[in-house]
Amino acid sequence: MSDKNQDKHGVSRRQFMGITGGVMGAALGAYALGSHFFDQPPEVNHRTLESSRFTTENQTTDVLVIGGGMAGLFAAVKAHDAGARVTMVSKGRLGSSGLTPFAKGIFSYNPKTSKMTIDDFVKQVSESSLNTNNPVFTRQLAEHSQDRVNELKSWGFFDSPLYNESFMRPINERQIPLHERIMITQLVKQDGRVVGASGFSLDEPKIIHFHAKTVVLCTGSGGFKPNGFPVCDLTHDGSIMAYKIGAKITGKEWNDGHPGSAKNSGSSYDNWHGQVEEKPSVTGVEVHHDLGMDLNYQAYRLGGPVKMVPPGAGDNPDLTGGPFIPEKFKRAGGPPPQPQSNGLRGLFQKNQHQGPPGMGGEQVGGSSAGMAIHKSEGLVPINETGLSTIPGLYAAGDALGSHMVGGIYTQIGSSLAGSAVQGAIAGEAAAIQSQQLSSLPISAENQQSNEQYILAPLARERGYSPAWVTQVLQGIMIPNFVLYIKKERMLQAALAYIEELRDHHVPMLKAEDLHKLRIAHETENMIITAEMKLKASIMRKESRCSHYRLDYPEVDRKNWDAWLNIWQDEQGNMQFEKQPFSLWPHFVSA
Amino acid sequence: MPIHQISGCIGCESCIKSCPTDVIKLDKKTQKAVIAYPEDCQICHLCRLYCPVGAITITPEKSIPVMVSWR
Repeated sequence: MSDKNQDKHGVSRRQFMGITGGVMGAALGAYALGSHFFDQPPEVNHRTLESSRFTTENQTTDVLVIGGGMAGLFAAVKAHDAGARVTMVSKGRLGSSGLTPFAKGIFSYNPKTSKMTIDDFVKQVSESSLNTNNPVFTRQLAEHSQDRVNELKSWGFFDSPLYNESFMRPINERQIPLHERIMITQLVKQDGRVVGASGFSLDEPKIIHFHAKTVVLCTGSGGFKPNGFPVCDLTHDGSIMAYKIGAKITGKEWNDGHPGSAKNSGSSYDNWHGQVEEKPSVTGVEVHHDLGMDLNYQAYRLGGPVKMVPPGAGDNPDLTGGPFIPEKFKRAGGPPPQPQSNGLRGLFQKNQHQGPPGMGGEQVGGSSAGMAIHKSEGLVPINETGLSTIPGLYAAGDALGSHMVGGIYTQIGSSLAGSAVQGAIAGEAAAIQSQQLSSLPISAENQQSNEQYILAPLARERGYSPAWVTQVLQGIMIPNFVLYIKKERMLQAALAYIEELRDHHVPMLKAEDLHKLRIAHETENMIITAEMKLKASIMRKESRCSHYRLDYPEVDRKNWDAWLNIWQDEQGNMQFEKQPFSLWPHFVSA
Repeated sequence: MPIHQISGCIGCESCIKSCPTDVIKLDKKTQKAVIAYPEDCQICHLCRLYCPVGAITITPEKSIPVMVSWR
């Protein structure tokens, strides 16, 4: 492992293991040497679980699907149906973790009833998103959505507001092994390809190594554990694991701009007006240019209170400038939303709710802070199957930077549908590829180093509480003058703080039990994500869609008709490149 | 408090499994669910909805003031 995983309070862990003969030795050794640490309660790690109690387990499969949301469900089903041995592993419960349980609208393109052709749909999404979408994935969404929706219907998905039972149906029918409440912390690359992953159980002291021929990451996106949006179990785990083995990551400059309610800002249930209790329903074509960036600008310029209105509506004479909205997608002076509308408001009015966050009452910002537009951030795909830049490693759904609808939210319900569509395609492709590969077990050396990395926060006698580090991270990143209304000097200032957390605090995160061990690893992933978001935002010297620079407020088509990819070089440095919109999907061979 | 009370638990562990943020744990002695990490509750109500006996009550307030982008 890299130097980042060395404990700065003395020798590296690897050296320490050698001296004491293992993790248990490390813990007991430190205790014997420094029992006076326990006289300083705020700084000492009050472990309720010793590393020595951990057991290890090995699982072998053809295709490993990581993540139990909509993308993971279809990846597992289709990989199985393509003839592969499949294993699923999820940090939560199938259909009850990540953003999937809260998504209630699913887009379905019906060629018989739609007023728009697929060509026109793709064109409109490109117009709204100022060409930030990847039209291959936009088209794929439309072409496959109805088939996936019909499969979901046959599993009973639309019959209940809770998804676990309908998700379990195809998994049980196929007898696909499912490991729930396992946090995967590392992917393993050997001989130039992915060969599996390692993680730990949230319920018992156990580390599991999953040996696989191919892996499909369906780990969702993430945020900074923001308040008022049900994204707090998603911490960009998949992207960061993939980044650490050299995969390219994209889309970190985009922002989901959802505001939250000023009253009970921390309650995601109340922010969404109890939407989680509604059964899901199908949405049709309606292309917008949405998601609160103009609201963030309004709050920045004029202060609160602000109310969410359709983009371009409710013009305020005191408010000049701000994010560019294509003329065609301004809705100023338009008719009030109709109850039968296919859009976001229509969905909620149908369900007799006041609407999603921002639709009524005084607002505060940053409800989903740290998350980009669905499908715009994540692993860089090199083809339409979601294959990443690492051989054998696929991604789907919010873990894949497919830019399916671009850097702004354009089509309601496309997120859930896109996860289903991409999961199915990636699962099948991963299954086919696995049949051409021989098994390559995770080496003993890699297993050992993964175990040490997983257990390091438990082994530390002193260090920093991951919950406190997360609070600091939120204080740096969430204010709207950092994350939403960007400018060079403030981005650089925030970056200095984040680099301090990365270099000094991440190596000293401590954990006293399995719950805190999870939070320690999540905190590291969020800090690396914050670094990516700040550096990408500094590099993109223009404004477009959900990326707004106060110092570069114009769309710059000459220099920035490009996505921004991030990867880690062999020295551990974060590197960046532009990928022109026109070069996909051939850039790998270019 | 976010997740506030579990009363009348039958020990089925549905809430434990359905909580995305690992807030609830099983008390090994009593074999009933306990609120172990209320500070990490995102107030999503999945635990309450999955509970077969309606044992869980939730209030909308977080235990500490939350960080927002503006107020």
